[in-house]
Amino acid sequence: MNAEMDLVDFAVDQARSKGATYAEARYEKQDPENFILKNGVLDALYVGHDQGIGVRVLVNGALGFAATNSLSKDGVRAIVGDAIKIAKASRRKTKITFAQEDSIAMNWSVPEKKKLADVSVEEKIAEIQGVDRDVTQLGFKIAARFFNLSDNRIRKFFANSEGSRIESYSPRLRVFYFLTVVEGAGVEQTSRNYGWSGGWEGISSWGLSDRVVEEARSMHRSLTEGKKSPEGKMDLVAGSQVAGIASHESCGHPTEADRVLGREAAQAGKSFIPPDGLGMRVGSELVNVVDDPTIEHAIAYYLTDDEGVKARRRYLYKEGRVTEFLQNRETAAALGTHSNGASRAVNYNVEAIVRMANTFVEPKDHTLEELLEDVKFGVYMKSFMEWNIDDKRYNAKYAGREAYLIEDGEVKHPVRNTIVELTTPAFWSAVDAVGKDLDFEAGFCGKSDPGQALDASMGGPPIRLRNVHLR
Amino acid sequence: MEDVASRIVDKAMALGCQDAVADVVENRSYQIRFARNEAVISNQWRESNASVFVVHGKRVVASDIRDLSKTDEAVERLVKIAKTSQANPDYAGIAKGPFRYARTRPDPKVLALHEGGKYVEAAVGGALDQGAKECAGSFWKYEDEHFLATSNGAEGHDHRASLYLSIRALVSLESSGHGIACASKLSQFQPEKAGQKAGRIATLARTPKPAKAGRYTVLFDPLIFGSLTDQVGGRLSAWAVLAGLSPFGKKVGKRVASPQLTLYDDGSADSIARKRFDAEGVPTRRNLLVNKGILKTYLHNTSTAKKFKTKTTGNAGLVAPDSHAVFVKPGDRSRDEIFSEVKDGLWLTNTWYTRYQSYVTGDLSTIPRDGIFHIRNGEVVEAWKDIRVTDNLLHLMKNIVALGNETEQMMWWGEVSVPNFVPYALIKDVGITTSNQ
Repeated sequence: MNAEMDLVDFAVDQARSKGATYAEARYEKQDPENFILKNGVLDALYVGHDQGIGVRVLVNGALGFAATNSLSKDGVRAIVGDAIKIAKASRRKTKITFAQEDSIAMNWSVPEKKKLADVSVEEKIAEIQGVDRDVTQLGFKIAARFFNLSDNRIRKFFANSEGSRIESYSPRLRVFYFLTVVEGAGVEQTSRNYGWSGGWEGISSWGLSDRVVEEARSMHRSLTEGKKSPEGKMDLVAGSQVAGIASHESCGHPTEADRVLGREAAQAGKSFIPPDGLGMRVGSELVNVVDDPTIEHAIAYYLTDDEGVKARRRYLYKEGRVTEFLQNRETAAALGTHSNGASRAVNYNVEAIVRMANTFVEPKDHTLEELLEDVKFGVYMKSFMEWNIDDKRYNAKYAGREAYLIEDGEVKHPVRNTIVELTTPAFWSAVDAVGKDLDFEAGFCGKSDPGQALDASMGGPPIRLRNVHLR
Repeated sequence: MEDVASRIVDKAMALGCQDAVADVVENRSYQIRFARNEAVISNQWRESNASVFVVHGKRVVASDIRDLSKTDEAVERLVKIAKTSQANPDYAGIAKGPFRYARTRPDPKVLALHEGGKYVEAAVGGALDQGAKECAGSFWKYEDEHFLATSNGAEGHDHRASLYLSIRALVSLESSGHGIACASKLSQFQPEKAGQKAGRIATLARTPKPAKAGRYTVLFDPLIFGSLTDQVGGRLSAWAVLAGLSPFGKKVGKRVASPQLTLYDDGSADSIARKRFDAEGVPTRRNLLVNKGILKTYLHNTSTAKKFKTKTTGNAGLVAPDSHAVFVKPGDRSRDEIFSEVKDGLWLTNTWYTRYQSYVTGDLSTIPRDGIFHIRNGEVVEAWKDIRVTDNLLHLMKNIVALGNETEQMMWWGEVSVPNFVPYALIKDVGITTSNQ
């Protein structure tokens, strides 16, 4: 038994003794470390040691949550009192209930070949400086560049009043970079994000230097050889990065059950999919979109969620139809089903809500060459820069960063700022072939109030869309 | 807690640091989130931490120390890490104190408030009275207390408290409106008015029609204009300029907006984010950023100021400068007058998801949400839906043709990240696009 689990148990016992019909407590200790290398200069190093405990209670059908970083019994007693008091003050007319789930006793951790804690600051800085050096030796002007390397070690202790007791450990590593390439009056910018659950060995899994150099070269080529993107209806081959963002934005978000039920209406919005929308057609029969927290080394890897429910793979869209919502225990009860382990919080001091993990288009059988060779005239949009989508997740825009004209199955010159501005059904219904090479990028997914920017990843193979309108 | 801040700074200096800053913060905020017209969860925080910044041989390390009973160990660890880090040649120190700070005090009635249910009910009631069917949002009582000490002699205490309510009212999925209430004094807090506005817009936005893409004269409601001015404030951070994240690079002294626009940043003025000092302990003050369309300065801390050969504006964050609160000087049009100037255009009430294709050029798009209205001769003709503003930040600012004569304090969930005091704004030639399929 350890002191953290003792405290968590104490919090749950306190809450039950004070009248909570359900109580859970989550202790988290996070050790983040990150730095920004801006134009070759180390801006600042950030080193955190964050820990605290959050308690959520259900009293008279209302939820109260309170958090503290005072890790004494008095501190915990105080927040339990807060949570009970504010829940009682809620005066809800309809009672919140939780779906019944199995209680779990579990201890899981993500293995690290080389522990993040054992990697010196010098080694981390040297790694990124090496990439920065490579990209500055390309012989053209990179007007601004910054790299952000961040890692975090997250240890959690969870218990609830139904007997679940879970301990977990997740080390995470992430690199974000942003480049500005200038040629004459032209400017190209890019940002990319790679993530990993595991130890320092993740840094070599990305081939970071090669990727950054290739990206910078493609930016310069866009500026020197890029032409206006064609307008009108044509075929589009969307690269992995584009397939990934589309799966996150127009498949993952609209299937979040809390959004479907209106709990996020004032912030991240609602969904074009109604609560009875399972089975609704949103794409061609080739479209399978999956959210899976159990992919090893993906940045949003976990085996139990922050309500103590076992994680599993979820088919959000299958054969072009909505098949499953992402659920926590509250939404599952409201919709008469079970949680599928999608409840997560960014830290101890915020409630867990419905979140995506690693969302992607399920690969099929085409190589990229096969996708391209059957295109008479169109655009291969390998990556994007600007993107957005409305708050019901129906109207999305992806603006090309690296894109090329396709003629008679061959990739020609770069085209600049290709715009895909389509509704969700129009995008996914146009898919007529799906590639086989799956790739992921990391991202931060924003939701909730207070805002919770949470680790997520998104990906897919390249996909081909027929006869869509591009600008 | 002053002792804790001073102890951290003293310890860092004793270990050979050239500069040190500690801001010990006690957070006692309280929130109710509501949806479907009632509370979905209430949140209470009891947290304390020290935001710490130490510099050893120009090696800069920032941290948050959560366990305030073990600050010596934490500082020792930080200094040890700093020694293994790399020098930042652009680092130019922190401001020299001591400073005198304004004697601001939080409203005792806000401090004494421990239950927000009636404000939620007032907002929801206001929206339902206007015809809304479903409301969601959040009520906040923000309260935090800062104890700051720096190795350059700054020492400050700042107790901050304010009230905030955000409400979205819906008649249907596609007919909605949003309202905001912000106040640092309880007597000025108007949640019901925010609810009424949200409900009124939602009702007016019933049965929206598909939009027509094109270029329009657009009347921006304060909430959405606040999203744009928040972009301006954020992109005026000197750090953003240096990182290639701003369209304002090399534009000090040049025209960046229409002569109608005068805009300043002021952390010292009354707002829900009023603060006495920045992260270096420099007293916050009013900084004119854009005067009649001409860019006057970026937002600076001591280091960025030195790089730009100027002085700090008192906008230091722990590492990078940022805006505290953005104020737009009101124009001369009443609400009726500014509406009447729209002969054939749009009235937009809110937006989200502002993203750039190029931060350097300012090319961006943002997606209006809630009421979108087609206006002819100052009157709403019909509600529209599913549009995107596809334009350029500088182009939008340069095309401001009129501003309303009253400002409202706006802050909202990421899009308006700090308080923006903004009027109605009439902007010509705004690009509107729609989904092509």
